Amino acid sequence: MKFDLTLALADKPGQLLRALEPIAKSGGNIISIIHERDKPAEGYVPVSLVVDFPSRQNFRDAINSLKNLGVAIIRSEEVVEKVRLTFILIGGVDLRRIIESRVEGMRIIGFEASTPKLNEVSVRMDIEVQADMVGEVVEELRKISKEQNAILISPI
Amino acid sequence: MRLLIIGFGFIGKELVKALRDKMRLLREIDRDFMVVGAVDSKGYVFDAGGLDVDGLSAVNRLSEHQGYRAGGSASELINEDLCDIIVEATPTNIKDGEPGLTHVRLALSRGIHVVTPNKGPLVLAFRELTSIAERNSCDLLYEGTVAGAIPIFSLARECLRGDKIIRLSGILNGTTNYILSRMLFEETSYDIALKEAQEKGIAERDPSYDVDGVDAACKVVILANALMKRNAKIGDVERVGIRGVTQEAMSLAKKANYAIKLIGTIDRRLEVAPKLVPINHPLCVHGTLNAIHIETDLAGEITLVGYGAGKETVSAVLNDLITVLKRRSKQKH
Repeated sequence: MKFDLTLALADKPGQLLRALEPIAKSGGNIISIIHERDKPAEGYVPVSLVVDFPSRQNFRDAINSLKNLGVAIIRSEEVVEKVRLTFILIGGVDLRRIIESRVEGMRIIGFEASTPKLNEVSVRMDIEVQADMVGEVVEELRKISKEQNAILISPI
Repeated sequence: MRLLIIGFGFIGKELVKALRDKMRLLREIDRDFMVVGAVDSKGYVFDAGGLDVDGLSAVNRLSEHQGYRAGGSASELINEDLCDIIVEATPTNIKDGEPGLTHVRLALSRGIHVVTPNKGPLVLAFRELTSIAERNSCDLLYEGTVAGAIPIFSLARECLRGDKIIRLSGILNGTTNYILSRMLFEETSYDIALKEAQEKGIAERDPSYDVDGVDAACKVVILANALMKRNAKIGDVERVGIRGVTQEAMSLAKKANYAIKLIGTIDRRLEVAPKLVPINHPLCVHGTLNAIHIETDLAGEITLVGYGAGKETVSAVLNDLITVLKRRSKQKH
């Protein structure tokens, strides 16, 4: 799993190497590194990294080691891969039920409805969700459509 | 090799025509190849010295053929070992598989090879039949049961020997694909598209077997058992048909560059349901076409497209027949 890290390194020789060592020791594989030497602020140089760690624990180990070395961490967060999915629901769909569904990180980003008759709504929803949550979103929508006796048309 | 054709309906008759046209090819593979008999629901014609296939292809009903024995049955010919291979092409029955199941079971238990486009026996007794075939060292080939002329089983057997099929999805029913295609392109309602399909003879008067996804579910069962070593039964397939698909839903899909298709899926779960297929996806084929998309560990993704019903199915039956002839004639030498 990938993580975004921004560190503030003292503008002195050897600081970058010093910061990279605990990352490597914790199993981190550096995918990209931007050393913004032209933007020093109050004697510190920001360094932005994207690092691939085998697990969240490895990432936490690296962070702890960096803190122990006294390296200032400006930002550290997991890079979340997001996917867009389109669904169609046919029938008496209570949209509030979908909006209130508690799938982590799910966002409705597009929406279109068509109602030729009352109680016979066809709704298209475009959803953005973390790649590893796709299964859960599909399950949740299946559950909701079953409860509401609607037909769910999910992507292949 | 002596062939007995069981079932003289559409497929049986089309097969006889193909045998007539391809006899030279068949004799090159097995110079002793002959059609010794043909059976319908009320009797049979049989000649131990081989029937004249030209004559057989000229009759519309078997009873018009010289020497027709009314009251005779396929089981009686199989029991007397009067053939080496049968093509079982009686109508599909998914309730009890009969009469096909009895024919297939009996033939295999006597070491007679079986080629069949009949889904019933395979949906209900896949494991049983394949193990009888194995025990008696004979072939059971059923390419015509799924997606007609699309050679999915042959492809897996011959060309993907080292691959593991991880996931399969497909348009496995031409009738529903025709209806949904009309709804997509002509913007007709489901009811009108169905009526049109019925008028063209694409859909049955009682369309439930197709539109409720039963036919596609049968194919999912055979595919899962044959290609992915599952032990699936028809009841394991979660099934939603296309009756509820509205024109409004179809046009919402179309605006977002999707088509709604009835898709059979073999994944963690077995499912037949209407799904959104991107317009540019290889599975997005229209009219009565079928398509099967597999994902394997080595080859990645492969899609096959072709006709799933009608006389094209004879291609699958004939290829299975030739496969048996080739295997067995190799053993002779």
